[in-house]
Amino acid sequence: MSRTYYFTVNGIERSTDQNKPLLRYLRDDLHLHSVKDGCSEGACGTCTIIVDGKAVKSCVLTTRLAEGRDIITTEGLTEKEKEAFVYAFGSRGAVQCGFCIPGMVMAGKALIDRVPDPTEEEIKTALKGNICRCTGYKKIIEGIQLAAAILRGDAKIEEELEKGDEYGVGKRAFRVDVREKVLGYGEYPDDVEMEGMVYASAVRSKYPRARILDIDFSKAMELPGVLTVLTAEDVPNNKVGHLQQDWDVMIAKGSITRCVGDAICLVVAGTREILEKAKKLVKISYEELQPVSSIAEAMAEGAPKVHSKGNLCQSRHVTRGDAKKALANSKYVVTRKYTTPFTEHAFLEPECAVAFPYKDGVKVLSSDQGVYDTRHEISIMLGCDPEKVVVENKLVGGGFGGKEDVSAQHIAALAALKVQRPVKVTFSRQESINFHPKRHAMEGTFTLGCDENGIFTGLDCEIYFDTGAYASLCGPVLERACTHSVGPYCYQNTDIRGYGYYTNNPPAGAFRGFGVCQSEFALESNINLLAEKVGISPWEIRYRNAIEPGKVLPNGQIADCSTALKETLLAVKDVYENNPGRAGIACAMKNAGVGVGLPDKGRAKLVVHDGKIELYSAASDIGQGCATVFIQMVAETTGLGREKIINMGANSEIAPDSGTTSGSRQTLITGEAVRMAAADLDRDLKEAGGDLKELEGKEYFAEFFDPTDKLGADVPNPKSHVAYGFATHVVILDDEGRVKEVYAAHDSGKVVNPIAIQGQIEGGVLMGLGYAFTEDFPLKDSVPRAKYGTLGLMRSTQIPDIHAIYVEKEELLPFAYGAKGIGEIATIPTAPAAQGAYYAMDHVLRTKLPMENTYYSKKQKAVK
Amino acid sequence: MAKMRERKTAIVQCFGNCGNRDGFTGGKTAESCEQAAEKCRGDKAVCQWGCLGGGSCEAVCRLGAIHVGSRGIAEVDHEKCVGCGLCVGACPRNLIRLTTWEYPIYPACVSEDEGSGTREVCGTGCTACGSCVRNCPVDAISIIRHHAVIDQEKCIACGMCAVKCPRGAIRDMNGIFTVREEKVKI
Repeated sequence: MSRTYYFTVNGIERSTDQNKPLLRYLRDDLHLHSVKDGCSEGACGTCTIIVDGKAVKSCVLTTRLAEGRDIITTEGLTEKEKEAFVYAFGSRGAVQCGFCIPGMVMAGKALIDRVPDPTEEEIKTALKGNICRCTGYKKIIEGIQLAAAILRGDAKIEEELEKGDEYGVGKRAFRVDVREKVLGYGEYPDDVEMEGMVYASAVRSKYPRARILDIDFSKAMELPGVLTVLTAEDVPNNKVGHLQQDWDVMIAKGSITRCVGDAICLVVAGTREILEKAKKLVKISYEELQPVSSIAEAMAEGAPKVHSKGNLCQSRHVTRGDAKKALANSKYVVTRKYTTPFTEHAFLEPECAVAFPYKDGVKVLSSDQGVYDTRHEISIMLGCDPEKVVVENKLVGGGFGGKEDVSAQHIAALAALKVQRPVKVTFSRQESINFHPKRHAMEGTFTLGCDENGIFTGLDCEIYFDTGAYASLCGPVLERACTHSVGPYCYQNTDIRGYGYYTNNPPAGAFRGFGVCQSEFALESNINLLAEKVGISPWEIRYRNAIEPGKVLPNGQIADCSTALKETLLAVKDVYENNPGRAGIACAMKNAGVGVGLPDKGRAKLVVHDGKIELYSAASDIGQGCATVFIQMVAETTGLGREKIINMGANSEIAPDSGTTSGSRQTLITGEAVRMAAADLDRDLKEAGGDLKELEGKEYFAEFFDPTDKLGADVPNPKSHVAYGFATHVVILDDEGRVKEVYAAHDSGKVVNPIAIQGQIEGGVLMGLGYAFTEDFPLKDSVPRAKYGTLGLMRSTQIPDIHAIYVEKEELLPFAYGAKGIGEIATIPTAPAAQGAYYAMDHVLRTKLPMENTYYSKKQKAVK
Repeated sequence: MAKMRERKTAIVQCFGNCGNRDGFTGGKTAESCEQAAEKCRGDKAVCQWGCLGGGSCEAVCRLGAIHVGSRGIAEVDHEKCVGCGLCVGACPRNLIRLTTWEYPIYPACVSEDEGSGTREVCGTGCTACGSCVRNCPVDAISIIRHHAVIDQEKCIACGMCAVKCPRGAIRDMNGIFTVREEKVKI
């Protein structure tokens, strides 16, 4: 029986006769795209709207239940509210990837309407249902406090800040994308609507390992509105892969699946509703096979081969000096085995891409970490010239490494070429969880030795990675795990063996930290045990061994002049020592730039057009803020304000390839290319007497490349990386074992944007705490058991007080105004520091992540 | 609207509809809670867990914030309630508890009868079907002694359980997510 439901949306009376989730009605029927679809399960909060004054998740509410109610979305805020939130969020650095932000704004507004002067605790409670994976919540809480103050009339908007006349390096730069992200009009791929656009989605394997006996899609084809169903036979070259092309676009009939994320066929239909119906009509017959579910099973003799070459995907042997001898002669030696889990990126924006026929090829509107990488993978699949594929990034709702591989882009391109229409592919949240590569699960045995004074002598370790069904970035990630397992210290005897095994688990690949989170957790935990044997404090043993400029890192590289690990240690010394029995400490280093002999180039082109400088550089801003950083570089070099400089975004057709957003490299590598181009422009600008109009039409291109040595290069002091960032974290517990405070001291060279770096550090720390205490990725026979809401992501009510400290030295690297990356390192030392704090408290060495028997792991009591 | 800073409020974990109860007249029963309990003790046709409608809570409330209403059960006037907790202690069946406005979603049934038994005596009670457990995005709900229990530590008050509950047994104090009023008419 059909009924019509009436309600008010942003002051306008609306009605519909369809009963469906309000989220879908608002997005699809009213095109209110500030209402983001992050999970459609009620877990993430990106779709938060206000209903009769209450913050409500619009994916939970239905049009029927909304009958008679008054609904407000971000689009419906008053001008005063809009300006208050834009300024408050921008000036406090609350915006990173932005996907959670309209939901946060609405949750904040609902609270402020009720309580005009909310306390920090009240804000945290009001945001409990809204996940942010970037900021660590602190900046969002501050943003809501400031917005409340502005709306009360207790604080004022400084209009100059957003205008950005002072936008150089080190200035409080208001991110370029704040306004569009706060108000929700900025476009992510899922917000794109095109004439004649249709929808595609893959039917994925029911079993991690099964032979596909038959794919019967005849019933689906009969459904009106279904355009086509594609299988492996329709793919020109059925393989993709970021580095190794081992990933089947679709599993062909007769072949064996490798994980539950595997696509078997791709349905293309006119609407989302028909698409969902059609997918259910596809009948696939399987012969279920026993999956390979662990490293041990993959290594076992006679184990089923996940790939025809065998189950060993990658291995590395990193060695220098004579570790065996050094350890044999060491006064103290500790050996421990450590286990770390898969970790899900849980970026707020599920994978989405829109592709359409373009010129003599295809164009893809994407959300990824490197448009040229995506172009490369798609061209391999299509067997065509890469130039025929154009990839342009829309806003990227978080990546953290999880959007380096193609996910939706290639299947959207395939479908668009087949049906010759625009095609949108949007992953459901569970599809995202099942499909994209995770942080590798590790099992590792680490042996570290030192002399009677606690000076490290040698390290021997064996690292096993579960890389799941596909290689993704297994090679480089495993390599970084090995090269960084030594820590930021100076000793010269290492023997590190790393192995990455294929299993039928979901694939593993890049994730913030890039292998180093795993190995430094193990190393730093061993260091605490050595300190105990020597009889010195965990702080002291680190300080005694800490790398300094001019000294030699365990990989042979001579630490450069900017190295400031000791400064980070000194920055947290007092707070560490003032909390005996409750504090844990850990150090880390992380490369900035891909390094190891690879052609890691930054490229930028500046074009003077209409009296403004257009910046072309295909470098993905996945929320970390590099689009703003580059403009700051131009502003610093030329002295011009933000309004004169436009970042044209990452588009493979118009912007030069500036590499992947990976390896904490964009600020340094692309930043330097931008600076170089800007310096050329500035020279002409000075000659023209500072009149930009004189340069109209001119182009300035620059490429930056600082060569490095490949792993195992036969030179006395190989230079593995252009730069390293360093950090020391101190985690302090309260008497119940809850994390009370985290002090995170970082050396990232020159700080380009003091607002943004704090959010990067705080967000990284919270991710590290999740890794230490709450986040897990349980699998049962290779099938993920977690939903978005049960991954253990920290919520606003769980956050400790995080103090982001950055040490800035006089001596800096000669690149990018001395900036080094911050992206990854912020998340590395937190988990071992948390482990150290628990060890200090109860003297139990927790060698497994997430740690067991902590405040966080104890079953919370149910209320009745 | 009034400030709700830290304000608690009472909720009654029963939504009535035990229309087959002896002596029920569509309003407050003539008896006290104790008398009503005594009268139906052991009677398989009557729910042994729900609100008795005798008004013990109403009698102790100093603000007139709780009344036995037309459904024959105690109902809280959230505008008046200050969360003092007097009614909580007065309820002989421990059906009333305090919550805060941040957690407006609550199961309105604590029956320990098996699902089939609850279904026989009540149109709105929890039958332990588990729909809420399956749909909760954060695994905050378990079925304990044949009824849904929400772990408030985990709950993010999204309302999914209330929307999915086929009996409307999980309710929203704000009324937004509460469903199927038409099904729960007496």
